[in-house]
Amino acid sequence: MKTWLVILGVALVTFLLRASFLLFANPHRFPHAFRQALTFVPPAVLAAIVAPGLLMPQGAFDPTLANPRWIAGLVALAVAMRLRNPLAPIAAGLPALWLLQWAMG
Amino acid sequence: MTLPSPRDELIAGAHAIAPVLLGAVPFGFVAGVAAIASGLTPLEGMALSVLSFSGIAQLIVCQLIAAGSPALVAIAAAGVVSLRHMMYSAAIAPHLAHLSPRWRALLAFLMTDQSFAMTVKHFSEPGERRNRHWYVLGSSATLYLAWQAAVAIGILLGAQVPAHWSLDFAVVLTFIALLVPAVRTRADLAAAIVAAGMALAAAGLPFRLALVVASVAGIAAGMAIELGRKHK
Repeated sequence: MKTWLVILGVALVTFLLRASFLLFANPHRFPHAFRQALTFVPPAVLAAIVAPGLLMPQGAFDPTLANPRWIAGLVALAVAMRLRNPLAPIAAGLPALWLLQWAMG
Repeated sequence: MTLPSPRDELIAGAHAIAPVLLGAVPFGFVAGVAAIASGLTPLEGMALSVLSFSGIAQLIVCQLIAAGSPALVAIAAAGVVSLRHMMYSAAIAPHLAHLSPRWRALLAFLMTDQSFAMTVKHFSEPGERRNRHWYVLGSSATLYLAWQAAVAIGILLGAQVPAHWSLDFAVVLTFIALLVPAVRTRADLAAAIVAAGMALAAAGLPFRLALVVASVAGIAAGMAIELGRKHK
């Protein structure tokens, strides 16, 4: 029951945000600062998801060599900065993690 | 200049999105696996995907459902990660303003990071624009169908993927693949670094509020750098 509530709520919220300016509002009526703030949403939100995924894989901050995820993540970051192909960081990062996990036993 | 027919535009859009599918299909598979792993039934997992069509939102919601978060928190978190769609909506609204509300609602429903990038590029090309919304439909509907198929396969095979493959890490890697091209200026970089730092520092907050706090802090940092640059 609660799960269906979440599913319908998420469907509604994601649609309303996509439709915001296409259907309901004229972007030119909004202040420049608001539109500028929106341009920082992707780097901020994505970095806020990535950082804990790399440095807190078990829920606690772990920047040590015992945590292979941040090292594999650095490999993926370096690859993404050089190659534009969106598959490249996955193709590099996942084998890097497997290799590190295997090396650590 | 001849006007490309709706059919020409539709097919051109479907063709143009093909390389993107290579990245979207494994991501969709992971989203399907994550739905089952977080305790959703196959029907619930598929409904979430069919109705919201957003990899990041689907994954965040699965994480929060697995963690037993309240419904409102899960919905709010999906909203925060989807805020970027508001920016896309504002950017393409002028190109699609001539369409009926039904058309605009359809294209809004199908909007993704990938199809947004292609739409902006296609509308910036010279030539007759009247039928270009068919190109947007061709590319985003193709991605929609491929995505749902990938999620369905992930849901069906999800239970059989061994944990030591660490497929959940593919999700973080997908976000890295989206993050790097999103950082184009020093202000973008400041937004990303501050948000990353805050996400780690505020991780102890309840209900995964860290994501919201970190995002707001990152946006503020980007704005501050941008203002400082202008006042020089």
